[in-house]
This record gives sequence, C-alpha cells and structure tokens, in this order.
Amino acid sequence: MSTSPLRSAMVPVTRQMRAYFAPVNRITETPTIFDPAASGVFALDAPPAPWLDLGWIEGFERYYDTPTDVVRSGANALPSVQFRGPIEARVEFDFREWGKLQMALAGGSEHMNVLATSPSAALAPSGGTPIPAAAVLAGSTANELVFGIDVVSAFVVGNLIAVDVDYQQQIGYVGSGISAAYVSSAAKVNNDLNYVRRVTFNVGRVVEVTATSVILAQPLLAGAPATGASAQVVAAFVDREGGSFFQEWSALFIAEPESGGRVCFYYPRLSPNPGAGSGGVTMKSGAGWKPPKSGGAAKTSGTANTQGNGTRSSSQKFLREDSEEIARPLSSLGLHASFIALPFTDTNDGQTVLCYRSYFPAAMAAVY
Amino acid sequence: MQFAKDSFFLALQQRLAGLNPARTVTINGATVPAVAVVENLPPASAEPQPNAFYIEWGSAAVVDGGAGNAALMSLNCVISYYTLGTVQSMVDRGRVLGQLDNELLGICQPTNTEKYDYTQSPSADLGTSVFWNQPAFQEATTSGVEDNTAAYQGRAVRRAIYEQAHQDGRVERRAELTVFFFSEVTLL
Repeated sequence: MSTSPLRSAMVPVTRQMRAYFAPVNRITETPTIFDPAASGVFALDAPPAPWLDLGWIEGFERYYDTPTDVVRSGANALPSVQFRGPIEARVEFDFREWGKLQMALAGGSEHMNVLATSPSAALAPSGGTPIPAAAVLAGSTANELVFGIDVVSAFVVGNLIAVDVDYQQQIGYVGSGISAAYVSSAAKVNNDLNYVRRVTFNVGRVVEVTATSVILAQPLLAGAPATGASAQVVAAFVDREGGSFFQEWSALFIAEPESGGRVCFYYPRLSPNPGAGSGGVTMKSGAGWKPPKSGGAAKTSGTANTQGNGTRSSSQKFLREDSEEIARPLSSLGLHASFIALPFTDTNDGQTVLCYRSYFPAAMAAVY
Repeated sequence: MQFAKDSFFLALQQRLAGLNPARTVTINGATVPAVAVVENLPPASAEPQPNAFYIEWGSAAVVDGGAGNAALMSLNCVISYYTLGTVQSMVDRGRVLGQLDNELLGICQPTNTEKYDYTQSPSADLGTSVFWNQPAFQEATTSGVEDNTAAYQGRAVRRAIYEQAHQDGRVERRAELTVFFFSEVTLL
C-alpha cells in the first residue's frame, strides 16, 4: 500500500439516471442536437432549451448490437480485414413520474388528450364530442392565454387545457411544436375540428384566471399559441395499445455524477418501440435490477416476463408491467418505455451513428 | 479521510448559510452557520446548543467492489440536533424540529460535493467528489415531559440515562447517513 496516489480516482459513480427529451422535426427528420461543448455541463434540474426534463428514471438499460465480421484470406484463412455489420441499439427504462410526455413516450403512438364533453355526449374511450373550443386571442403568450371577458369564465383554476389550431383537413403531421400524430386521411379522423387538440403536446394547467385571460403553471411547449389556436379543457390523458403513428424524439440520459465525472448518453433519434426484442450487449443501471422486460428477453427466451401464445402476427412476447413496492400494500406505478435508435449522420465525418456517449471528467481529475 | 470530512462539513455549512441565513450559532465567540463537527470542538466546550446540527463521525471501511487504484471508503456519520422551541411554553418544539428536519434534508442535496484539501491556501480540488446516501431520521425523542414513556418503552436503561442528562423538555433527533469517498491512499 502506498500513501501517495498514482492518480486521482477515475471511477464514475452514479445513483440514478435522469432523462431529457427534445422533439425531432418530423418533416425534415432533424433531431435536436446535444453539443457537449455548448451545453454539456448544465444543472440537472435546468436543462438548456429545448430539452425537457422528464425526471429520474429507473432500470435504465442500453442494448447495442453491432456485429463485426472478418474477411479471411490466404491458405490458412487468416483474418485480413474486419468490418461492421448492421447496427442496432435500443434503450429501455421505467419513468417514475407520470405526465403527458412520459405517458406519450411510454405508449409510443398517438397520445390523446381527453377533451371535456357535455353530459349528453356519446361515450367514447378516448373522448367524445367535446365542449366547443374557446378561441385564443392576440396578445397571448406561452404562459398567459387571452380569451376576453365573456369567454374566460369557461375556465377555472385547476383546469388542464389543450391549446392548438383547428384541424382543417390537412394531411401529414399535426401538432404545434411537436408532431403529435400523422393524419393520412381527413376521413379517418372524421374531419374533426378538434382532432389536433385531441393529440397535441401543447397542454397546460390553469393556476389563475384574470378578467380576460388564464395564467398557466408551466409554459406551453410550443411557445406562444399560433394564430387561430383555440383551447379546450382536458379531463384526462389516454394512451392506447395500438395505433399506427410512431413518435420520434431526441433523447439525452445523464448519470448523476456522484464521484465527479458526468456520463451522458445522447440518442439523436429515438422511436418508441415497446415489445420488440433485441440481441446484443446490455448495460443496466440501478441496484434493484430485474430480468429484462423486452429488449433482453430475446436473448434469454422463457423468462418470466415473456409468454408465447401462438399468434402468428405478434412477436409472441408479452410484456409484464411492474409496480415498485413502497411498503405493503403501497406501490408506485411506473411507465415502462422502450425505444429503438434511428440513424443519424455525423456531419464531422459523414459516419452513420445511433448514439453518442460523452464523458466529462471531474475537475482536476486524472485524464488517463 | 480528513479531506472528505472537511469537504462534507463545509458543504453542509455553506448550504445552510444559503438555505436559512438566520440559522447560526456562536462558537468560541464567532457566529457561524449552525453546523459543527463535535471532534473539532474543544473537549471542554459547552454542551451542544439548540437549533444547531452537530456532526459526529463513526466507523469507516474500505468498500468492496470499488474499482481503480484509489480505495472507495465509507464513513458513518451521525448528525444530531435538538430544540426547545421558540416560545416559553415550548409547545412549538415539534414544528421547529420539523423545520430542522427539512433543513437537514435540504442541505444534504445534492448528495455530493467536490473533495478539497483545505489544509492549504487556496484549497486544492482533489479531483473526485464526496458523496453520501440520504439521511435516515431516527425517532424524535423528548425529555422532561410526561409523554416520553412511550418513546422509550422497552429501553429502560437508555431512558434513565437520557432523563438524567436532560430535564429541560427538549426534543431531539439523530439522523444517520454514510459518506463515501475515494481515499488518498493508493491500493497496490
């Protein structure tokens, strides 16, 4: 044993992982860039815009499967050249906090705002014919929505509201700021004037009602409402097993740097992919590790979490949602999320990549 | 190890100064944020003051599984505090203790701080952090009042000592946590 250190400790120690998501421009497929030099070392509870803090997550697992092979030559078939095969990467974890974004990411498809209806409305699991929207007037901001004296009484403190433009038979992605759904045919959404507000991510909580406006607790994700936007009260959020739309987000995961060094995992394009299996290597976090829920299940068939049923069209892997026991009989419900990484071209060298891992050594820590 | 102790203590003291600047004590004539390390006080110093956090260090160990050259060490820590309340009738002792609980939990966040060598000036960043788990708050104990029997049921010996020591009606708390740090000693 020596009393003079060779070098300071270089062991990243973490307690938990924090998740940040930012929208991908679906029309141009442009992700939100995480530049370690520009915004790498930020306070974990104050991420730089447009990154959204989705809280601490549990059971963070990275799967990557980039097989390599060799070209052999010569009489003895010796390896001469190595090459990489098809690349694939996945991420899985559990959100511990529930909210619009967390539910939408865990669900992976259209995420519905259940608009408030009148008592006589026909019943519908994702919301029936809603109470008509109130037009948002000029002068509104991301935090304050102006309705005018007569209309503002439709809202009370505590209301959840959805704010977006009317659906006007357009085809393509809909939703201000963040693409919330893809409409392939106006008829499929019944030419519903309220459809955009049914799926929009532009939601907020009313904390104050003034003479002409409402004040929101958190700013609208799309900023000031677009011209022609309207607002409706939201009763609940609903996700559905099914749906044809695939969301796409940029994601950043940061290991809480207990020992000083910060490790970040940046995925330029992540698409929710619940239920799919993957081969490859896993990286798991969290003390209470449990058997893989989907990604790893493909490698270890027959785990408690998967069951085949003989249905041809499904992946024949059923996923079990767990709850986290607090103290019997209390338990907290998590939102299990699973994603597949989509490719991104690094402009520095034209290479196609799925994810980045960056490391910020602690101040004055040894470098190697 | 001393660097870790000093870094933890100063982090808590500085955080308390930011969280509640009014929470101060006078030690040896100097008014400082109300966090003190018992082993740093003169042996003959007065008994602990109310509404102040006193840090006591316990056992230490090398943690198995800490990779690298530097030993990952754990160091047990007890932080104790008590209050007599703010009014003569002392009926707000519980509320004040709750406030102290909140402040302790607050100054423990985030659960890490840079490790500095404070034996030199200016202090030197040693390149790693000191980190700890969340404090475990023991039951609040009272003394010199009628209702303390339940709190000490089955612990006759401790109760007798405690009541002998304090008959002033204080309520006190002990919070325990474990501090982790990479030792300056290199394992070979």
